Amino acid sequence: MSELDRRDFLKIVGLSAGAAATAGCDDPASKLIPYVVQPEEITPGIPVVYASTCQECSAACGLHVKTREGRPIKLEGNPDHPINRGRLCARGQVALGRTYHPDRIFGPTARSGDGSSQAIGWSDAKSKLAAKIGSAAHKTWILGGPVGPSLDGLIDRFAAATGIAGRLTYEPFGQHALIEASEQVFGVSAAPIFDVSGADLVVDFGADFLDTGASPTEHAAQLAKSRDITSHADGGARVVAISARQNLTASNADLWVPAAPGSEGVLALALAKAVADRKGVDTIVGDALAGADVAAAVRTAGISRETFDKVVGKLVAAHHAVALPPGIASSTSAGAGAAAAVLLLNVAVGAVGSALSYPASDAKPHASLKDVLALVDRMKAGEVDCLLIHDLNPVYSLPASAGFAEALSKVDLVVSFASMVDETSVVANLLLPDHAAMESWGDASPRPGIRSLVQPTVRPLHGTQALGDTLLGVARAMGGNAAGQMPEGSWKSVVEGNWAGTSWRKALAGGGVFGSPSTREVSVQPSAANLHPSAPRLQGSRDLTLVAFPHSYHYDGRGAALPWMQEIPDPVTKISWNSWAEISMAKAEELGVVFGDVISVETDAGRVEVSVYPRGGVRDDVVAIPIGQGHTVGHYASMEVDGQEGVARGANVGALLPAALDEAGGQAFLSTKASVSKTGRFRRLALAQFTDNQRKRGLAPEVSLFDLAESGGSAHFLAASSASASEAGGGHGEEAGPGEAAEHAEDSAGGHHFEGPPFEFDRANDAHPDQPYRWGMTIDNDKCTGCSACIAACYIENNISIVGEEQVTKRREMTWMRIERYVGDGDDNVRDGSDRRPTPDGEVLGENEVRHLPMLCQHCGAAPCEAVCPVIATYHSDEGINGMVYNRCVGTRYCANNCVYKVRRFNYFDYGRKNLPGLLGLMMNPDVTVRGQGVMEKCSFCIQRIEAARQPAKDAGEAIEPNAVMTACEQSCPSNAISFGNVRDPSSEAAMLAKQAKDRAYHALQILNTRSAVTYLAQVRREENEGVH
Amino acid sequence: MTDHKTAKRNSLLAGFVTAATAAGLAFWSGWLSPGDGEANAASGDVRVAASVCEAHELRAAKEEDPSLEIEIPSEFDKSWPSAGACRSAIAAGDPLAPGPIQPIPFSHKHHAGEFQIDCLYCHSETDRSQAAGVPSVEICMGCHAQFPADYDQIEGIRILKEKWENKEPIEWVQIHRLPEHVQFRHNRHVQAGVECQTCHGPVEELDKLHLVPDSHIGYLVPVAKLEMGWCINCHRQNNHQASQDCLKCHY
Repeated sequence: MSELDRRDFLKIVGLSAGAAATAGCDDPASKLIPYVVQPEEITPGIPVVYASTCQECSAACGLHVKTREGRPIKLEGNPDHPINRGRLCARGQVALGRTYHPDRIFGPTARSGDGSSQAIGWSDAKSKLAAKIGSAAHKTWILGGPVGPSLDGLIDRFAAATGIAGRLTYEPFGQHALIEASEQVFGVSAAPIFDVSGADLVVDFGADFLDTGASPTEHAAQLAKSRDITSHADGGARVVAISARQNLTASNADLWVPAAPGSEGVLALALAKAVADRKGVDTIVGDALAGADVAAAVRTAGISRETFDKVVGKLVAAHHAVALPPGIASSTSAGAGAAAAVLLLNVAVGAVGSALSYPASDAKPHASLKDVLALVDRMKAGEVDCLLIHDLNPVYSLPASAGFAEALSKVDLVVSFASMVDETSVVANLLLPDHAAMESWGDASPRPGIRSLVQPTVRPLHGTQALGDTLLGVARAMGGNAAGQMPEGSWKSVVEGNWAGTSWRKALAGGGVFGSPSTREVSVQPSAANLHPSAPRLQGSRDLTLVAFPHSYHYDGRGAALPWMQEIPDPVTKISWNSWAEISMAKAEELGVVFGDVISVETDAGRVEVSVYPRGGVRDDVVAIPIGQGHTVGHYASMEVDGQEGVARGANVGALLPAALDEAGGQAFLSTKASVSKTGRFRRLALAQFTDNQRKRGLAPEVSLFDLAESGGSAHFLAASSASASEAGGGHGEEAGPGEAAEHAEDSAGGHHFEGPPFEFDRANDAHPDQPYRWGMTIDNDKCTGCSACIAACYIENNISIVGEEQVTKRREMTWMRIERYVGDGDDNVRDGSDRRPTPDGEVLGENEVRHLPMLCQHCGAAPCEAVCPVIATYHSDEGINGMVYNRCVGTRYCANNCVYKVRRFNYFDYGRKNLPGLLGLMMNPDVTVRGQGVMEKCSFCIQRIEAARQPAKDAGEAIEPNAVMTACEQSCPSNAISFGNVRDPSSEAAMLAKQAKDRAYHALQILNTRSAVTYLAQVRREENEGVH
Repeated sequence: MTDHKTAKRNSLLAGFVTAATAAGLAFWSGWLSPGDGEANAASGDVRVAASVCEAHELRAAKEEDPSLEIEIPSEFDKSWPSAGACRSAIAAGDPLAPGPIQPIPFSHKHHAGEFQIDCLYCHSETDRSQAAGVPSVEICMGCHAQFPADYDQIEGIRILKEKWENKEPIEWVQIHRLPEHVQFRHNRHVQAGVECQTCHGPVEELDKLHLVPDSHIGYLVPVAKLEMGWCINCHRQNNHQASQDCLKCHY
């Protein structure tokens, strides 16, 4: 009987037993469970979008939370929000995962002395805490991260009502130095707001404003606007990046000045003086700049006088220059002085009041590291009996030398309000878990005049309680004065009460109240003359300087728990899932290490072992390690997902850092010398791109401003890319001209003849002639900063699996979209293959040739993959889309082998189900199939979004509007580099841009005649690359 | 994949054996003989109705066989619940009829057939969403809350009201199940004028819902199981309107 085919069996059943037997033919019954009362706004199958606010960093971008049947499935930017204008960075996109995360704490838990933990009820938990605070209020402290104004106010009221000893709000990446500098220079106790949208020169003193700066999404959008080549014939804004390592901002800069780390302050002051000398400034500013010594500054920075003069020249020539103060990676013990020097430079170039403004009201001061260290001392002295910790992971994020973990053991009752397990919550005695951000009420006020609301978009999944409600409950359990002074009602009613005077419903619908940000006039104060930016004190006398920089995605470590943030490669190094140490090629050679070799990095504070990433883009006297890895707790943050529970993933830089302070008491991350040594071990790093050499294939070409201005600029640029192809020798040349089919483009302007582009075609033709649609994409490489927000959007929208470190090292990552990072045109010397290790060696210190190329399925009109599929699982649709039918795929992988763009991904294992523990499966987009083991997958041009847009059009009997479809990547892009649409309609943005910028338009590997539907617009070189040293 | 298929085959076999056994038992034990039932137990005596539904049954039996002696107490001598409602509820709960037992013996025949309630009245999202939408308990109660208490004699209505009071959803057993890896849009088909019955069978004639044999003559799949060949057959016949592009459904 077992040999009986299912179909035959069905036939027999159908003939003999008829319908009676078919009842048994179903799969094990699945249930259809409708609502009891269906909410009015919900129609099953149709998404509902709620406005909310991102809680991942202090920028507080507006969100549109897309929900299906009551579960949030995608976060997008709120187009009406003044901060992010509809865009969202990678960190914000994946923050959704916190809601469904396997690390979530299910409910209140008490941990006894022997380490065993036990679930308790909420009322027990609250009365336990109430009793403790009641008996030891004067020895109770609250230590937390920054929260929204409503919660902040409530915690303050709680602290006052219960009479506890104190409360500290600590942001590991605080802006104390900048606020102190503002106080000194302008007499304003607030951090300035920068606007680069009108700038023609941006000088970044290590802020890395496109990546981990104060408001990266906002600034990337502003920069894209100010250097949009279509509206600025002169190329628009130039970017000068001053940074010891080539970070993301330096990768996008027109000039990268690899100044010695910590020299930003003296350099800024010297630049300000040089500019002031040429342009003239007020006496008061002149006094402040009097101490500057250009020669000494140039010496300290380790750059040439020519480079310095070049920057000065730019600053003097610019009409709207702006300088951005040092960020975390360049925060030194002289951080306030350095920031003040940058502010003075802004004064000298006249940026104050336009590109640099101050909010109308002072910011509420946060606790500095100094304050936290004072608390640690109290804890050590036994003066703290009860410590309440919320929205902060101090055990991880404080420098190890602060001794927080030991001090914590002296505290009788440690209470954690964390919603996910972290290093702090596992040592807490009482866990009162907060809701995830998507389950909470709250608000944010990123700057005066902008009030943004956080609203829940899903019912609490676990037995958690909002921190606000917990505090209200504890105060009520204490009774008496404490209860009397706290507000009535629930946390929600407290938030609503704080929004009295605004239309609550309107605020809920719109995401908040967005007035124009109110700013104030500032002028330079005499105290500015007291400024003495000096070279920072660095601890130790070792040979290298340790640059600890915030990881693009993990930031201060908070992103490490999210699997997407682990899996998406770092935008600069393309490393995922682990820490790395960047040292220069020369240093690596001296040490005798190559990529992946484990080195030991030692400072006076500690020692870590980490795999090495030798690169050209870092100074010889620097070892740079990202902050954010090295967690010992967490499913993805630690090695738990790889079966090694409690083992740290990567290295925590905190172990290397002394608890060094700047003038304002903030943490100085650039504070120590370090030495490196070889360990002899090797640990393969998960690397997404093995080389930055594009071998003159013209994948990511570049066109100079000069050529663009010339008539027939396109010929110049294409000539450059194809000429290099023919230089490569016979092979490429022959490919370029197969003779009979090739249409050679004629160079009308230049007069010289060249071979290519060999295959002229119109992508609009590559669909069925009767079809009104040919979907296509136009990507402006000149706008792309490489930030990878699009990749995160793609992961979430298309249910792309996380494969884990081991699989990534085997090159099995599933990403449908990647950003290739090349340096220059590359060289086409064929390596002998003896060195199989990756060689990202194209970078040269001080030169900036980085090209970013977002790579996704090109939906080729003549797709190489389609021809080789034996089962027609991949085929060309009538509308020009390269379709991928999962249930037809048998997994031969021929298509991936034949794809010239390497955009096809194969499910070697059942990643889709196995790698999504806990409730993460609930986050899946129900409109996209979750792929099983053994099938190929790739970018679908977000076909589910095309089909969604088709519905209203069909209902109305009309064609889909040419720009009605927005792919996930296009939607997220902060710089608006991606346009998707119906390229058959000339009025679509994708078609229009390609036509408008035809001088820059090209197709990747056009030489292979794949007839790709993605038109790239080449990057523009705005400055001649002379290199600076 | 293989495991899944084997499991499916096993379940098919099990289903077949169970159904066949049940049918056999039914035949031999005479369960299906007409006139069977509790009301009939004390044959020869005067039969007394114990509920309104039984009263309907007895009246019907007497019409067929006037010699029957029946007694209908005055509290059960009512027209509510109607004979049709009683009959359909019993039929929908018949364990021997094809189709899975549902948590409520709901009869489509009664609602959609006899009362001619439009499918879209309850499955109201069908013309605007990809999902047909199973009606919420509230929609059922929209009508049933206004019914007299007498109707609670019918098991289904009693359960419905219990669920409503406890604010519990009804866990219906799915019958029409689309295979995996397919995206289907109800709204497109409804708007194109495809009858619900084309895919769901003559729902308005069925008390207890089950998959019905396909009406497309000449096609080899014996049962309308919403398989692709069956879909594409229809799409081919309506070539000018319906797309045959893979990507319309597979993504």
